[in-house]
Amino acid sequence: MSRHAVVTGLGFITSIGNDRAAVTESLHTLRPGLERVEFLGNPSLAVKVAGTIKDFTVDSPSWRDWRYPARYTLPREALRSLPPHGLYAICAVEQALADSGLAAADLTDGGTGLYCASAGSAFLLHHHLAHMHAVRGERGNPMGVVASIAGTLNFNLAANYGIRGAVGGFAAACASSSHALGCALDDIRLGRQTRMLVVGAEEVNAETILPFAAMRALSTNPDPATASRPFDQQRDGFVGAGGAVCLILEEAESARKRGVPIYAEFAGWGQAADGFNVAVSHPDGAGLAEAIRRALADAGVKPAEIGYVNAHATSTPAGDRSEALALGAVFTKTGAHPQVSSTKGLTGHPLSMSGVMEAAFCALAIRDGFIPGNANLVSPDEACAGLSLPRSTVAAAPGIVLNNSSGFGGSNVCHVFKPTKA
Amino acid sequence: MTPPHSPSASSGRNDAVQTLDRHFPPEIRAAYERFMQTRVPADADTVVLAIMLDHMPEKDRRPSTPPADTLTLVADLGFDSVAIAEMVFFLEDLFEVRISNDEILRVRTVGDLRAFVRQKLDASPPANPPA
Repeated sequence: MSRHAVVTGLGFITSIGNDRAAVTESLHTLRPGLERVEFLGNPSLAVKVAGTIKDFTVDSPSWRDWRYPARYTLPREALRSLPPHGLYAICAVEQALADSGLAAADLTDGGTGLYCASAGSAFLLHHHLAHMHAVRGERGNPMGVVASIAGTLNFNLAANYGIRGAVGGFAAACASSSHALGCALDDIRLGRQTRMLVVGAEEVNAETILPFAAMRALSTNPDPATASRPFDQQRDGFVGAGGAVCLILEEAESARKRGVPIYAEFAGWGQAADGFNVAVSHPDGAGLAEAIRRALADAGVKPAEIGYVNAHATSTPAGDRSEALALGAVFTKTGAHPQVSSTKGLTGHPLSMSGVMEAAFCALAIRDGFIPGNANLVSPDEACAGLSLPRSTVAAAPGIVLNNSSGFGGSNVCHVFKPTKA
Repeated sequence: MTPPHSPSASSGRNDAVQTLDRHFPPEIRAAYERFMQTRVPADADTVVLAIMLDHMPEKDRRPSTPPADTLTLVADLGFDSVAIAEMVFFLEDLFEVRISNDEILRVRTVGDLRAFVRQKLDASPPANPPA
């Protein structure tokens, strides 16, 4: 396959920072983005911590009430159909375009596509349906559907930026934006697109996060400093988070002709499902191990060549154990010992945006030459035996990097990123 | 930090009334309150024109104030069908009336809009006084 894809732009609205510099600083210093929250104004709820987005106020269903940094200017015709996480997404796209040296006009020739992932806005959907019931179906906000259902990100971003290439959304829960990124790579390899914007975004509110408490999946640790602790024996669930990340993927020759700085090559991806349970990962991590193998094969990389793994590990007892076992099967048992960390100890778990967010972290790590450490990891789970789990960020080039994601239904998706030659 | 919740769910006032309260000038809110009490058509005109201006896409065209009755919503003021639907929903919620698709299609100019809302409100006195 002769066409290669490289990462040329990143944009971040995350719990650990609202631009690349802040995110990089947090990854270096392991400064977390978690805060105490009180969902639904109910102090008796056991869930007390979330990965919040700072400098944005989007707690109203009306865009007129939203507040966001003055550097972003959005006209009413863009705002009127956005969910709260769509606002985050536009801000992340704006950053990524600037980072990649692109203007909005560069996106409209059909060579650029857009793949997105979010759960939609349960918050706005609930609001609009409550109104529908209140007026017994006699009227409704004409923007209610496009602002709230799954797909709202691709509807809004494609229209806002005039994108005429491939546009779509992915729904695989916490693996969604990893699917988006993988399919974006395929579109570039197959010559269908020259450039792909991949965007993941989620909201930080009760409607998006609290339902996971009913699954007993959320941490009830009230301390923001320790609530998210992937791979640790004391982990008790994930910490919900949100925000938006945009990653711009570009055909390598096109990027080189533009002379734009390149973060990394996106060298391959793989996916494999557990075929096991709707919500619980395979106890041995069988699907994830196969996804890793497929990604490595696609990239033409051996396990021993991987220098760093950004793990999906969300801080749930079952999920982290499965992933540790999968990593052990692919790497430790073959004599490979990459550094492994989950950055969710810093960020919390932003659900469907986590895959592209962590792919962006991998790109930063490759470009800037560092390996993020495991925040809050004190006593690793026994399933982690043999894994190299740095407690602090390592100032060393990671070499070739693997990024893991897993979602409901046992969807597992893995990416391989490589440094590019200067 | 308190995460998002729906203000309307707790206040009992619909989105349009809350938006008028929070984002429109005092004289527009006062005209709305007067209209809901007294049904003086000039007050409805004031509110309708303010809502129309608020819903205009921010592309390039801003009419003189007050906009002439002969200006067309689409060709002169830059409305698209989504903006018209959004404005109509706002008027429905604010004045608690139902507006059909056929009625919307007959409204082409600023004058049409003012006349239509006057006629609609004459035909549909509010079921409840404003909250």
